[in-house]
Parts: sequence; structure tokens; C-alpha cells
Amino acid sequence: MTSPRIRTIAAVLGAALLSTATACGGSGDSGGSVTLTYRLWDDQQKAGYQKVMAAFEKADPGVRVKIELLPYDQYWTKMTADAVAGTAPDVFWMQTSQFPEFVTKGILADLGGLKLDTSKYNANVVQSYTYKGKLYGVPKDFGIVGLLYNEDLFKKAGVTMPDKLTWAPDGSGTLLETARKLTVDDNGKHPDQPGFDAGKVKQYGFASWNHYQTQWMNWVSSNGGKLVDKPFGKYAFNDAASVQALQFGVDLVNKYHVAPPAAQTNPPSDKINEMFKQGRVAMFPANNALLPFVAPGANFKIGIAPMPAGPAGRVVNINGLSEAVYARSPHKEAAMKLARFLSGPEAQKIMADGGYVFPALDGLSQGYLDYWKQKGLDVSPFLEESRGATFNLPVTTGFTAFENKLNQTFNDMYLGKLTPQQAADQAVHDGDALVK
Amino acid sequence: MTSSADHLPGRADPADGAERDGIERDGIERDRAVVTAPAAGTPEEPADGRTAARGAGHRPRRRLWHTNWYAYLFVAPSLFGVFAFLLLPLLIVLGLSLFHWELLSSPSFAGLANYRRLGGDGETWHSVWVTVLFVLLSIPAQTVLGLLLALLLNQRVKGVAFYRALFVVPWMATPIVMGLVWTWIFDPRDGALNKLLGVAGVSGPDWLTDPSWALPSVALVNVWQYSGYTMLFFLAGLQGIPQELYDAAATDGASPVQRFFQITLPLLNPTTFFVTVTNLVGAFQIFDTVYAMTDGGPSGSTEVLNFRIYETAFRQFDFGYASTLAALLFLLILAVTLAQVRFFAKRTTYDLS
Repeated sequence: MTSPRIRTIAAVLGAALLSTATACGGSGDSGGSVTLTYRLWDDQQKAGYQKVMAAFEKADPGVRVKIELLPYDQYWTKMTADAVAGTAPDVFWMQTSQFPEFVTKGILADLGGLKLDTSKYNANVVQSYTYKGKLYGVPKDFGIVGLLYNEDLFKKAGVTMPDKLTWAPDGSGTLLETARKLTVDDNGKHPDQPGFDAGKVKQYGFASWNHYQTQWMNWVSSNGGKLVDKPFGKYAFNDAASVQALQFGVDLVNKYHVAPPAAQTNPPSDKINEMFKQGRVAMFPANNALLPFVAPGANFKIGIAPMPAGPAGRVVNINGLSEAVYARSPHKEAAMKLARFLSGPEAQKIMADGGYVFPALDGLSQGYLDYWKQKGLDVSPFLEESRGATFNLPVTTGFTAFENKLNQTFNDMYLGKLTPQQAADQAVHDGDALVK
Repeated sequence: MTSSADHLPGRADPADGAERDGIERDGIERDRAVVTAPAAGTPEEPADGRTAARGAGHRPRRRLWHTNWYAYLFVAPSLFGVFAFLLLPLLIVLGLSLFHWELLSSPSFAGLANYRRLGGDGETWHSVWVTVLFVLLSIPAQTVLGLLLALLLNQRVKGVAFYRALFVVPWMATPIVMGLVWTWIFDPRDGALNKLLGVAGVSGPDWLTDPSWALPSVALVNVWQYSGYTMLFFLAGLQGIPQELYDAAATDGASPVQRFFQITLPLLNPTTFFVTVTNLVGAFQIFDTVYAMTDGGPSGSTEVLNFRIYETAFRQFDFGYASTLAALLFLLILAVTLAQVRFFAKRTTYDLS
């Protein structure tokens, strides 16, 4: 019953002190071979990057790269401590929700010197890592939200996935219609039939739950609502369009009964994942990065469809990653060489062909499609979506601090304890208080 | 533990002390014989700690240094640990609490500003309240259950060693994994608990998403996890009570109930003291179970103080204020522990002869 976190604080502080002491004796770019540290958090992608780094070392024999893998839940804590101590790795992964914090504190190097042709990269990823007109991250890849569905359940119910799923705040549209057909209670009744028992549902048509990236932010954006007024600005998702959209997400659960109750699915529970894998939920919005974790274990055929379109069209979440260069790296020149290599087609093609990611560089996605086709999955809807309207997670300071509060407030909303207007007002208020 | 034992009465007399040491060692021997393999290391710790503290206490200082310098050599590694990983971090945290320091920007001296902020921080005082509630929900239940289990498993029954080991298993499990398993058990629709209640015709609550049930649920897991561990110590304590006392009492016609309340319970005081102090400190520091099961929710109903410290330090990166909260938790635990020391000081005897 000791508290590991408190010991972690002590350890981090101790490490910070020690490493400041040793950093003073560090060496510069004094000729010969240089060893760079490259840090990432995904153990699957590490295998891909080993190939990438081998190619880089071949192209540039003067530089060696040491890959450092940190699990995601330690990554940002360690990264922050290292940045404080002045010992951050030379090149490392950056993500949108952390970017504002790091770039405003001067941790990230300006990549203007690389003179990248940004028009060749996914525009959304480029924009995510641009601050005051300058690029601070090499666009690496993007993950995008699509609709996974259980083809076996569709077949069994004699339902075909409509060509285009649509939704509207009043409950019209093909999404709800399809979800109703796939929701069945113990007596075989559907939610729009008399005698349906919402307390004894055997199978749900859709997964609607409190998850911002794959759920309500998508409803809000496809109803014309806004998450933040501008990059690095204040939150705005309590306007009329947003609240209407939030209401729809909650209605799917509490009014239409096509999704499991929030008492089961509210985070930190990952119940909904499980329910989809067990074949108890037919449609499940998810990021394509989830595929390697869902696809291998599934005992049914997974189908992939584009997300439903709302009154404002189909607008889905895209989440880009970038490679950042540490502003105070003692091997800045070599680090920039690596950054340039990672921005190029050779590196990004290796990652695409291995089925790891959609590369941010245009024209390489075919490799990713081919990889998954070989595994029996048609992932092209993800790509199709990325060419349409997309939105980012809120890019503003303080989001990490806000996240848990936001989730707690919206948990109450999905439980029906707060109205969407109340929940959104409170969340916007809490979030704005943390924006610096 | 070690330092609190210094305040216990009856320490001044060396002869008395030596004799007690002898008994203590006897106790250890017996403990060893009793306790089953997986837990063999544990019961010795408190006993050893006490013996060491006492041994250091009742000899003149100078002589001790000359004759026992090698003893210091032997404890040096753990002393280093105490300094490097206990005292130093504590001092650093206290120091940091006087700074404004949001990681990634440089610290600036704040004086007592963080403490003033603490005074008006309703959310933190809510967390203190939640923590106290959690302690009240878990410690009494855990202690009584631990004692009952110990009494039960102190019998000479076939397979008793197996049961002793069985009850300690939850304590060995990782809290995070335990938390996950329990969230499945607590699931309102498919969870084992509500399914079981359903058979009995009761419709169970939404354990982890109903603000009035979430904290008791987390406390229940805690009780379940630590009762067996508590039992271990009581078992060791029970084995240390001389059989003659019971024989004499029986000869005098004392009933089993009288024997329990007049002999067993008072003579278990050293154990009860140790168990309640360590469990209480542990309960005040509860974190992992909350982290895994509720993440502080619903509506902040399980947001214990340690969880708030974590939030402030690692999600808001406000290390200055997080240090202030850590100092508050430290003071709270210190106060409660001192109160316990005073309470038990008057009621405890270590002399069982």
C-alpha cells in the first residue's frame, strides 16, 4: 500500500538534480561519429524504426542513433523532467495535446532550416505543429477515426451497411435506423418495438460513450460546432450547435437505447472495447491506430466504414504525430540531419509498408492499404476520410490538466445527471481556467 | 515504526530491556515456525525493528560507538537509503512547497503563497474529507477482520497452513491489476456481484458510477486486499502470548470470552499498535486502487488526497503546489500517528513473561 507515485516524484526530482550535474560535463559535436538519442513510446513501431534508423546510418555513416522506448504513461513525465534538466533526447515524438506546452516553453527547435515543402504533407498535421507561422515538428503520421463494425452481426440480422451513414439531432438519418435494427433485447425485440426492455439488451447496435476523440468531438464538429475558438485559444463547445450534438450522443444511450448504459462504459472503464470484441456491440468508432490491437484477436469479420455525416457533413478527428528536435541538443546539426531523413519518402515508406501508420507525407498510403488488405481488412475508408473535412483535438495549453475533469463532467452528462448544456458550460469554464 | 518505539515506556531499565529482547527473539523463532513460505519474511520486520531501536537506546553513547562501530558499518547501507530516499526527498518536497514551479518554466520563490492558496482551496479540503472517509471505511473493518481471521487460523486444524497462505494472496497481487479485476466484478450489468445479488432478488447499484457507492466500493477492495496481510501480524502476535497465562486463567475459571478480552486483546496491543499505524498510514496514502478503478470519479467522490497530488504534479505539472499538498498529507499522517503512539503508550506492555 505504499504510494509509488510519491516515490516517483522523489525519483524524478533526484534524477533531475543528478542529470543537471552530469549534463555540465557533456560533449559537443567534436568531429568523429555522433550518437543521437531518438525516443518513442510505441513498442510495435519501434520495430519499424529500427529499419528506418539502419537506413539512416547507411546514408549518413557519421551518425549513430540509439532508439529509446518509454511506455506512454511514463513518456510525458520523463520528457518533462528531462526538459527541465536540459537532458531531453535529441529527436523525439511529439503529439498535438502536448505540443502547446512544449513549444511555448522553448523546448522545441524551429525546423525552418530544413526548408520542408509543407504542401506535400497532410495539411492537418502540418497545421498542428505550426506555431506563430513556424514549423516545430516534422510531420510523421496521422491517425484518423473511422467506424469499425461487426460484419457477422450485420449478416445475421440481414442488414447491409448503408452507402452513407447520416445523423441529425432530431434522430433522423441512417445511423440510428441501422443501429435500431442491430439492437436486440432478450426477447428479440428492437428499441422501436412495443415491449422492448431497455434493461435486458442482448446486443447493442452502436457504441456511444464518453470518449472525446472518437465520439462527442466528432458529433460536435459534424454539426457545425467548434471545440476551440482558435488554435491556442479558449474552448467554445457550449454553443447551440455543440450542445445539440452532445444531446444526440447522450440520446443514443438514454433515449434511443441503441448503446450500452454509461454506468458500464464511462471511463476509466474500457468495457466498450471488450463488448465490441465479444460481439455484443455492432458498430464502434475507433482510431485506425487501434487496428493492430483489435484485429488479431477478433473472432468475427471486421468491416470498416466512414464515420456518419451530420448536418454539417462528415467531419472526423485526425490526430497527427511529429518528430521534434530538442532546442538545446548538443548535437543539433546531426539531429537536424536525422529530422530531414525522417521527413523524406524513404523513412516514411518503411513505416507505411509495415502497416504501422498512415504516413504524413502524401503518396505513400498505398503501402499501408496493401499491408492490411493482406490481413483481410479494407482500410481505405480511413484514407477517404482523411481527404475530406477533418478536425484536430483542441490545440491549447493546459489540456493535459483539463482532461480528467472534462471526463468526469461528461461522465455525469452521459449518465443523465447533467444536461448537455450544463455539462458543456461547466467543462468550458473549467478548461478556460487552465488555458495560459 | 522504529522511531515511535523509542517513546514507549519502560525502556530505561537495561536489565529489563535485555530480558525483553530475549523474549522478542523467542517470539521470532515461533513466528518462523508458524508462518508459511510466501510470507516468511514479513513478520520479522516489526520485531527486528523494535529490538534494534531498543538496543541502541540503553547504552551510553560513547561506549556504543567504540564497541559497536561495526554495527554502524552494517546499517550504513540502509542508513544511506533512509537519507537518500526518505529524508532528502522529504526536505526537497518541503523546500519545493515554498516555490512556484510549473515544470518547464523556472521556479520562483513564493514564500508561503502556496500555503495561503491551500487555505482557500475547497477542492483540496474535499479531498482531505474523502481521504478521512476512506480511512474510516477501511481501517476498522480491515483490523477486525484481520483479527478474526487470525483467531480462526490459530487453531490446529488440518490444512491451516494452506488457508493462511490463501488469505495473504490478495496482498501480493498488484493493486492496478486487482483494481481492473474488481471493475469487472463491480460491472452493474455483467459483473459477478450484481449477478449474485440478482439471484437473491436484489438489484445492485451502479457500484463505481454512483457517487455514493464508489468510495465504499474502493474501500471494500482495500479491505479485501489487506485483511489477510493484517491477519499475518495478529497471528504472529497470538503465537507470542504464553500458553501458561491461558492455563492459569482456565484454572481460575475464566470463560473463553473473558480470556479473549482479559488476556488475548491486551497482550496483542503491540501488534495492534503496529498494524493500525502501518495500515492507517497506508490508507491515507491510497492511490493505485483509486487510479485503476475510478480515476477520482464519479463527480470527484473518490478523489483522495494522494490522487489530487498526482493530478497536480503529473497532469497539471504544478510541482510547487503539489509539494504543498504532499506536505499537508505528511502532517496529517504525522498527527494521526502521534495520536496513536500516545494512545497505545499507556496501554501496551511488551513484557509477556
